[in-house]
Amino acid sequence: MAAEARAEARAEARTPRSAQRTWLWGALLALPTAWMVTFFVFAMAIVVLLSFGRTTNDGFPAFATSTANYRALWNDVYLELFVRSLLYALATVVIAVLIAYPVAYAIALHGGRYKNALIAAIVVPFFASYLIRMYAWKALLSDDGLVNSGLRKTGLSDGVTFLNTPWAVIGGLVYGFVVFMILPIYASLERLDVSLIEAGKDLYHGPVRTFFAVTLPATRAGLYGGVLLVFLPALGDFVSAQLLGGANTFMLGNLVQQQFNEGQNWPLGSALTVALMAALTVLMVVYLRATSTEAREA
Amino acid sequence: MTPHPRLGAARPSRRGFLTGGLAASFALSSCAYIRDDVAVDAPLPPSAKAEIDGDLVYFNWADYLAPRVIKGFQEEYGVKVIESNFDSMEGMYAKIAAGNQYDIVFPIAKWVVKLRREGKLRAIDPAQLTNADQVFYSGSYFNEPWYDAGSRVSVPFTVYKTGIGWRTDKVSSMTGSWHDLWNEEAAGHIFTLDDQDEALAMAALTLGYDVNTAKPSELEEMKKLLISQKDLLRAYSSDDINDMTSGDAWVHHMWSGDFLYLRNGLANNPTKFDFEAPVEGVPINSDTYAIPTNAQHPGTAMVFIDYLLRPENAIKNMKYLYYPFPVRDALPAFADLAKDVPACNVEVSDLENENVFRLLPTDEVQRRAAVWTEVKAS
Repeated sequence: MAAEARAEARAEARTPRSAQRTWLWGALLALPTAWMVTFFVFAMAIVVLLSFGRTTNDGFPAFATSTANYRALWNDVYLELFVRSLLYALATVVIAVLIAYPVAYAIALHGGRYKNALIAAIVVPFFASYLIRMYAWKALLSDDGLVNSGLRKTGLSDGVTFLNTPWAVIGGLVYGFVVFMILPIYASLERLDVSLIEAGKDLYHGPVRTFFAVTLPATRAGLYGGVLLVFLPALGDFVSAQLLGGANTFMLGNLVQQQFNEGQNWPLGSALTVALMAALTVLMVVYLRATSTEAREA
Repeated sequence: MTPHPRLGAARPSRRGFLTGGLAASFALSSCAYIRDDVAVDAPLPPSAKAEIDGDLVYFNWADYLAPRVIKGFQEEYGVKVIESNFDSMEGMYAKIAAGNQYDIVFPIAKWVVKLRREGKLRAIDPAQLTNADQVFYSGSYFNEPWYDAGSRVSVPFTVYKTGIGWRTDKVSSMTGSWHDLWNEEAAGHIFTLDDQDEALAMAALTLGYDVNTAKPSELEEMKKLLISQKDLLRAYSSDDINDMTSGDAWVHHMWSGDFLYLRNGLANNPTKFDFEAPVEGVPINSDTYAIPTNAQHPGTAMVFIDYLLRPENAIKNMKYLYYPFPVRDALPAFADLAKDVPACNVEVSDLENENVFRLLPTDEVQRRAAVWTEVKAS
């Protein structure tokens, strides 16, 4: 009884302060909201509006109410590009998981006091621009590059064509985005209670079964987040295909870029962008629903 | 669209490769750019006098004049050169159209047509330039260039052609034709420029069509021809210099100045590289100096142009860029620079051919773009 009264009194006393806090939160939100509205919502609105636009005879994009750009999307070539980009992005995700999970696991569970240093070592290279790192790849992997001269010197091979292949593009995408897979998986492994793994070992015997029965389900959220963070940018990327790709690795991102540049067709580029975003949104919603249901069941 | 690379290095590769076509082209979507009516054929704003009237706001490709020439100008005239760069003609145009103020810009020929038509360039009176006779002498092609009637708003800067560079130690069966880009001996090591105008022009010339063609039947043939190349092709790339030095390319569709820089400026063994200007004809293009209408210091810009036209400065720039400058007393120096690969030089007869990239109406550009997209995507 007395405890309840005290709690009530405390709650009352807190009211004015919590109102103040709400006001403060509102004020703090104003700036980011304004920023998002101006640079995200407004910019997106222009893209959406322009996707119904046309190009004037002087080459300027202009607003209009034409659906021609969307009708132009029903084209075998674009469909083929979409499928290709999808396959590249999926391959990127699979490879990124295979690389990221062991790395994150080793750091989170065996990093000891070097944990933070190791994570920093992974993140710091990503401060260098993606573009610069792609150029570095070109220098390393070209026909007369460091890797191939090494192979020739050691007699392992007389040269491998790395560059300008689909695998070079996928490799570039993996390298470009793998950090977004490592970090969320690392975060969820960090939170994992190690005693669970020990209990799992008692229950299931063997590290493999324990991993699939305990560790992996427990870190599912991080894994799902990483998949999304890698898949989405990989699907829309054009830098890797442009710099590392060959004659047959053109991706959707390159197509969009081309419309905004040489193609002199911003409205078509905008329609492509909107369509790609719509497709990604659908994929993302399906994925999120599937994974959240699964997470709830688990 | 232009012979300049979208993303990545190339003409010459010293030009800052990090900027890439991406940043600029996506950053330019200011609302001012999206509009319908554009003034055409406006009367020309009058020429400025060649008198220093402030620091020079300079807008060019990165690394596209010899630094010591720019430094010399600052020292001689006691002004600063405030440099900013573009990485595509589209980016340059968009910034000017958005009202940014520059004193001197360096448009490629067909962009002079566009800027002049829209009244965005100031007249340049040759009488103001003490070295005008270096480019506008009697009989000079540039008295009446195709892109600027009467040379009213532009002064020629460089000229260049597009041809084929190849590795003499890897390929022995070159024929002097554009068909060399289908040379089976170099299968898997052939590169075509990743450039709509250049790639389509190469196909058009191979088939005997106009480089600017937008005829559906001709475009269809060109498309088939370009697609037939893909089995032999390594990639589409405008990074021609690096593709050659890295060993990836044995046969590269490339720009003359890039080739000369590669051969004379970079290669350990220059004789490993050669260049040809295919017999079917080659695209010719020109860069120019121009002064925007809203320039704040057009007088300094006039003095700067005059300074660049001095033969000794043209020679310094040529030895840096490896592109020929049509400056009369500097021509022998370029001939000397290109003496082992005369195909890299641009003769008056080259200029007078019709293989120039013209400013096309939007529907034609888009039709050509659709073909180029299909080629790259198929």
